[in-house]
Amino acid sequence: MEFVPALAETAVTASTASDAVPLFTEPILSEETVAEYLGEDWAFVYRNREYLLWGTVVTIALTITSLLLGFLAGFPAGVIEAYGGGYSRAFVRKFGVLLRGTPILVIMIYTFYVLPIGIVLDPVQSALAGLDAVLGPIPVPDVGEAFMAATLALGFRSAAYQSQIFRGALQNVDEGQMEAARSIGMNRLEAIRHVIAPQALRRSVPGFQNEFTIVLKDTSIAFAIGLGELLKRSNDLFFQQTTAILEVIIFASLIYFVLTFSTNRTLDYVSNRFAIPGESS
Amino acid sequence: MSERNPDDAGGRIESKRERESVAGTADAERETEPLLRIEDLWKSYGNEEVLRGVSLEVDRGDVEVLVGPSGSGKSTLLRCLNRLTEVDSGHVYLGETEVTGPDTDPNAIRQQIGMVFQDINLFTHLTARQNITLGLRKVRGQSKAEARRRADSELDRVGLLAQAGSYPAQLSGGQKQRVGIARALAMDPEVMLFDEPTSALDPELSNEVLEVMSQLVAEGMTMVVVTHEMRFARGGATGITFLDEGKVIEHGPPDQIFDDPERERTARFFQSIRHE
Amino acid sequence: MSDSSPDGVRDRLGGSSRRIGPVLAVLAGVAFWGWLLTRWFNDWVLARVGVGPGAGENYLSPAPFEAAAETFEGTVATVGPVRLPMNWLATLFDGVALAIDIAPILADGAWNTIVLTGVSIVLGLFIAVPIAVLRVYGGPFRWIALAYTELIRGTPLLAQLFVLYYGLPLAVWINDLEMVGRGFVPEYAFWIAIIGFTINGSAYQTEYIRGALESVDEGQLTAARAIGMTRLEGIRHVVLPQTLRYGIPAWTNELVYLIKYSSLAGFITVPELYYRASRVASSTFEYTPIFTLLALVYLGLVLTATDAMGRLERRVAIPGLGQVGGRQQGTSKETRTDADETA
Repeated sequence: MEFVPALAETAVTASTASDAVPLFTEPILSEETVAEYLGEDWAFVYRNREYLLWGTVVTIALTITSLLLGFLAGFPAGVIEAYGGGYSRAFVRKFGVLLRGTPILVIMIYTFYVLPIGIVLDPVQSALAGLDAVLGPIPVPDVGEAFMAATLALGFRSAAYQSQIFRGALQNVDEGQMEAARSIGMNRLEAIRHVIAPQALRRSVPGFQNEFTIVLKDTSIAFAIGLGELLKRSNDLFFQQTTAILEVIIFASLIYFVLTFSTNRTLDYVSNRFAIPGESS
Repeated sequence: MSERNPDDAGGRIESKRERESVAGTADAERETEPLLRIEDLWKSYGNEEVLRGVSLEVDRGDVEVLVGPSGSGKSTLLRCLNRLTEVDSGHVYLGETEVTGPDTDPNAIRQQIGMVFQDINLFTHLTARQNITLGLRKVRGQSKAEARRRADSELDRVGLLAQAGSYPAQLSGGQKQRVGIARALAMDPEVMLFDEPTSALDPELSNEVLEVMSQLVAEGMTMVVVTHEMRFARGGATGITFLDEGKVIEHGPPDQIFDDPERERTARFFQSIRHE
Repeated sequence: MSDSSPDGVRDRLGGSSRRIGPVLAVLAGVAFWGWLLTRWFNDWVLARVGVGPGAGENYLSPAPFEAAAETFEGTVATVGPVRLPMNWLATLFDGVALAIDIAPILADGAWNTIVLTGVSIVLGLFIAVPIAVLRVYGGPFRWIALAYTELIRGTPLLAQLFVLYYGLPLAVWINDLEMVGRGFVPEYAFWIAIIGFTINGSAYQTEYIRGALESVDEGQLTAARAIGMTRLEGIRHVVLPQTLRYGIPAWTNELVYLIKYSSLAGFITVPELYYRASRVASSTFEYTPIFTLLALVYLGLVLTATDAMGRLERRVAIPGLGQVGGRQQGTSKETRTDADETA
């Protein structure tokens, strides 16, 4: 491999410590059985299943933290874009254009190499350490610099997109709804809170669904900053045994596919479950 | 199929009354054979039987108006006539040709049976003129100039030549429907089917459409019309067919059906309309 | 650049920024494209005939800026209280010097990025249209199209590139072709990237076109069939011309997506923008200015793409149907502003 960003080797991977915890106590199949039926390369994949599955855990954790950050920053941004005044709206919009117009790869490199990650990382680490002390050992992977940088990059980029989803949904709520809410004595904020937002949130499920899968797939780009998520670990593996390249990537792709597919179906279900009766989603 | 007897085109422009005077002297086969023959049509969607053995004959130059409560199967019947809907069983004949025959090319037959829709369905991305030339050029293979000439003459016929370059979204509902009629006429159909052509329009706009239709009646066009416009039915129709629950309840000339229906169900229906 | 769109929401921004904004945007656009075009012209034409600074050489010398930076760096220690502003100026001059240094590299990378994106999206469209038609009108064969789009959209682009680059013996086949890597024909990695982006883009474009196909009123196809067109003729002459118009906002999204994600080609050694910039960064350790410049170039490309597509959309809009694609007032307004604002 000719091209690895300069500091990737020295980057702190997120879950090296957790690798010690076995996912399975008893293997269901023996390596020999796999080798016999599928060949030595699949047996290699099978032998390293825990390594890859911990990568999957990192991928899922990164998706969740990024989407949460994206929602926490994106929903207010959407409200400001829909209802905010001149300057706040202009600021949110410009910032959004910046984030949506730059590749996630560049954003991630930026948060990793340029931002002083330590400022955010230290409090988070001490908070987790505090939790550890109170609850005993918790099954949360150690948060390293790369994980934090990836969360910030994916999270704020996602916020820029989520704000568009929410802005669109808010603006699509009939104007009469706001008038009706005001006519029964609510102020603007109350009207947004009790009338507009509940309708808008339901309608943003399809857009959010899309965003979810995009973030999930883009966690693979954290490869660039050396975070040991699923794709990085697959990459490490197939450079160990180059005959198994196709097997390893197909296995990793399959995991990604299962993850996106099951999230989509789950969100479909959520969408139907919370749909307003009589209104087609 | 696309090659047509030039006599037919001539016959279409003759007025109905002229045609009647010629009748008998023209070839006898045409007199005895109805132009459109519908035999025992059945159609169901799932468990719901929409047509339950409908039979009907329409002679050349006839204007047959189908009436009946909503859900009685009128629109489905029309769509079966040009195979936009396939029947479950039964036969439709256009002259000698069996429309429903397994070897009949539905695309060829549809050129001979023009259709005008309730929701108009002009091609949104094309001007009024292009809406008409599209079929002439792509289906008939006419040259650009030829198709354009024909389109303009059809637009003139419905009084919209001035709007030839307008897009559907720039036309009123009535104008759109008149373009829709011109589009169907341009394919030289032997029969025109109208599926509630005015029910999506305001009353004042439907008048201009009804005028064009009356003009076609005067020109002797064979028409099958589903409509709630009883004035048109009384003035223009040669026959009224009353359908209910997928069956022909009664068929006869307008005066008889309107004023002296044989069936109690028919009488009740017209009673309810008048009370509206 | 996107400020030039006569968008209602944008107009409400008000204030003086509205009047200055478009002018600045136009100036920035002219500067950006002026730089890129003269750079390419210089490298490919002038340098060959021996005119100008030569291929890949700087227009300006970064030396005076470096010297200025050093001067200010020197004054930092001596003038105690004005320490910070001096330092800041030094950084600025350093940045300018660096920008002059790497500008030829960025322009060259930008060309590769544009070719990669342009070729892939057009090839992808040719694959996507039949697949989308199959998906909507294919009857019992719909599942083929569905499986294709779901599989491609369900896995990361980077993983797909790895499959093509490391997993399959594509490199061997492509290298067997005589012309690869000679003259203007790029190396095999570039071709693999094009294959990857074409496949990936086609799956997303299929979804957009499918959505647009489904939103064309069913009556349009019925009417086409009523005048004797076959189903395929109706799709070809009536449904698709409308679909491709209504699909422009989504297509803009796809174009923007591909511009940005073409940066992943760097991982398979394609010398596009990101790869070129990161190479310089990893040898000079000047991450902040280099990646800031890199982000600006991407932003320039993306904003140009959205602006151009917005113009195209207005150009082909059907008269009488509102501003652009105002077919379903509620939703299309949403997609339009999305596209305008770099979704």
